[in-house]
Amino acid sequence: MLGFLAKRIALAIVTLFILSLIVFFAAQVLPGDPAREVLGPLAAKSAVQALDKQLGTNRPVIDQYGTWLGHIVTGNFGTSTQYQSAIGPILGKALVNSLKLAALAFVIVVPLGILGGVVAALRYGTRVDRVISVFGLSATVIPEVVSGIILIAVFGLWLNILPVQATGGSGFGGTIYHLILPAIPLVLILFGYIQQMARAGTIEALNSDYARTATLKGLPRRTVIWRHILRNSLLPTITVIASQTGYLIGGLVLVEELFRWNGIGSLLYNAATKKDFPMLEAGVLVIGAAYMIVTLLADVLYSLLNPRIRVAAVE
Amino acid sequence: MRIDSRRLDAAREGRSELENHYIDELVAGRLGRREFLRRGAALGMSAGVMGAVLSACGGANKTGGAATGSSTSAGASTTPATKGGTMKLASQTPSGAINPLTVSDAGGLCMLAMTGEFLAYDNNQALQLQPMLATSWKASAGGKVWTFKIRPGVKFHDGSPLTADDVVWTIQQLADKKNASNALSTFEGVITPAGVRAVDSHTVEFHLEAANGNFPYLVSSDNYNAVIVPKGTDWGKWQKTFVGTGPFKLGSYTQNQGASFVANPDYWGGKPNLDSAQFSFYASQAPQITALSGGDVDVIVQFVAQGAQALTSGSSYNIIKLKSSNHRELSMRCDQAPFTDPRVREAVALSLDRPAMVSALLQGLGQVGNDSPFAPKFPSTNTSVPQRVQDLSKAKQLLSAAGHSHISTTLYTEQYEEIPALAQVIQQSASKIGVDIKLKVETQTAYYGKATFGQSDWLDGQMSLVDYGDRGVPNVFLEAPLTSGGPWNAAHFKNAQYDNLVKQYVAAVDLSTQKSLAGKIETLLLAQTPLVIPYFIDGLCATTKKVSGVEPTSISQIFLHKASISA
Repeated sequence: MLGFLAKRIALAIVTLFILSLIVFFAAQVLPGDPAREVLGPLAAKSAVQALDKQLGTNRPVIDQYGTWLGHIVTGNFGTSTQYQSAIGPILGKALVNSLKLAALAFVIVVPLGILGGVVAALRYGTRVDRVISVFGLSATVIPEVVSGIILIAVFGLWLNILPVQATGGSGFGGTIYHLILPAIPLVLILFGYIQQMARAGTIEALNSDYARTATLKGLPRRTVIWRHILRNSLLPTITVIASQTGYLIGGLVLVEELFRWNGIGSLLYNAATKKDFPMLEAGVLVIGAAYMIVTLLADVLYSLLNPRIRVAAVE
Repeated sequence: MRIDSRRLDAAREGRSELENHYIDELVAGRLGRREFLRRGAALGMSAGVMGAVLSACGGANKTGGAATGSSTSAGASTTPATKGGTMKLASQTPSGAINPLTVSDAGGLCMLAMTGEFLAYDNNQALQLQPMLATSWKASAGGKVWTFKIRPGVKFHDGSPLTADDVVWTIQQLADKKNASNALSTFEGVITPAGVRAVDSHTVEFHLEAANGNFPYLVSSDNYNAVIVPKGTDWGKWQKTFVGTGPFKLGSYTQNQGASFVANPDYWGGKPNLDSAQFSFYASQAPQITALSGGDVDVIVQFVAQGAQALTSGSSYNIIKLKSSNHRELSMRCDQAPFTDPRVREAVALSLDRPAMVSALLQGLGQVGNDSPFAPKFPSTNTSVPQRVQDLSKAKQLLSAAGHSHISTTLYTEQYEEIPALAQVIQQSASKIGVDIKLKVETQTAYYGKATFGQSDWLDGQMSLVDYGDRGVPNVFLEAPLTSGGPWNAAHFKNAQYDNLVKQYVAAVDLSTQKSLAGKIETLLLAQTPLVIPYFIDGLCATTKKVSGVEPTSISQIFLHKASISA
């Protein structure tokens, strides 16, 4: 197991390094200049040059990348050209915010999705199955902004039972209360995906030999499902959930803007448009690292649920 | 007008030549009372003197009251303002560090004006330049030297006293080419660091590069970077303390989140009514409107008409409308066929229905423009020049006289506020006279490019539609986009007579000279039409009915010294 982990971590580091290279050089293609982004299009040219010099953005690109790399390996995220202050605290706060929202959406959508998938599979072909599947698929295509605005209008303004902003809650309960509304669009989008995968996995498991054997052995239906079917239907679902991490943490720019929530999505969007390279790099690395961790966890969970994989790894 | 000569002569005593000139104009009836008050204030005449003159000239009427420097803000009433309380405001997220040297966005400059103060205050509701950290100012040497008297007894938030040295240092830093200063675009060519001198502990002299009749505006709240800070301040660290002289001190500032300010009990103008002001930052307008509707905030510092029907229709909120010179400029390349012929340019201008644009694009919250930077709000605007109106048949005539039956061109513009919609309206109007416009709407970064000729769609496009934010005086609008060699001259307009007229206008210190030059400039621009300015957009601020005494400006500052909120 340890060897497996060590190999995965080494791979992750290599991937992150390549990722940082790609992002840095791809971002050079973007139009705009960091100092001019700060001072605006109408500022005097001498001022822009002076600021570029101050920020160090007039040096050759390789130079800038080298300095940045040197800082990162010592844990120094550098200084943002936009905010002219250390990136660490800003990024940290944004990451924590994004994780909170992602966690709440996750906690709601995963059990719901799995439940929906299993129930639909057990009632395969009936109206219940069709209703759940159609609902799930339709909800997926509604853009977060659209569902978000409708939710704000109905629950926030008209019924006035939920707050219209994600910021403002204090303490655990307060934070959850404020995050319910923003989490719902995410739940709607992901529910269909997870539900379909769970449904497919469960159907396959239901039609398998071992399930038939277990039933013929005389085990009650509930036990068959709980001990044999579920762990197999969960396997594809885990993979799907892990692949949505990037979106849940870093892809929520619109939701963050609509509900006024300072997450990493809007931070990165601003960094990209304002050519704030240090911030962009740091943010992408953090999301990349999160992705690596989650997929690693998914793999570990996979092998826990599926002894065949566990045995293969050991061998 | 019944004139009390004795009192008038007494009032005239000690007045400078220029001030006497204004009094002459008032007596002769060429200057209205309001204009006199406005111009007198800009020159630095005190309220007492102006009141004395007015009363000598046939009785000071109600407008005399406005000269005392109090604003005619919405909600100013005779009932005493509620003391205490916290006001919650929604404003645009500052796009970068709050560094007075480098701030260039609406959110950032709003923050600067919360704790920082300027030499003069451009009161957008009274349309008057009022004393702030300077108590008076006067011009000499024909407008080439300006002397400002600094208010005594003012303390910074850190306890140190305000002296002329602080003023001199601040302005020198802002005008220094070696600094990354956003204010250079205002000061370049007007003043250099060497021209700023302290005469004594409370007097500062500005020796300008050339005579400039509107200089006081350049060190007023209009020049939003020019907050006066203690000498030797580390600009990069100003964000941690927000040290200034204003009625509010910094409570806390959190990037991308919000800021809080607490009342400064030692403020020179008296403790403010409010205990504190809390700002929440928003990336866009829609959540601000939701927040106001939901009661999360009491004030939206600035908003635009599109998408704000929830605020402007009905009467649940107080909408403060500010006359502003915020506008859009459609430039046509005067050095590229077919726009080399002024008849073609005039034809395009004649195809537009301006009043319809104001009502459709701005919901009526704006004023029609006459293709020159002289907005109705400027006192020097010459209103005797006839307003251009839509005339499709004349436009077609001009086009065929110029030898064109059909023209194709491309219009470059930016994705910003109502500008894409305006571009479409222009496209539709122009198609009616045979001008086919292809639209290229880009992001702001792509459109501005490097903001230099040859590297910017804004400056190079054959037709280019750009936004210009509000200013207190038209100088910048007259020079940068239209003079030969102006850095923002997207129209590539080169007209020696125009350059000459503008030079005279900038140097002119008295109003009637400015007005007559303005008339000549407006007429020239109508004849040549290097650019089309279809309208000027009102500045808008929204508050709940519980709020009173706020003083917003059309560049999105908000002054809360006199503000109060009822429970």
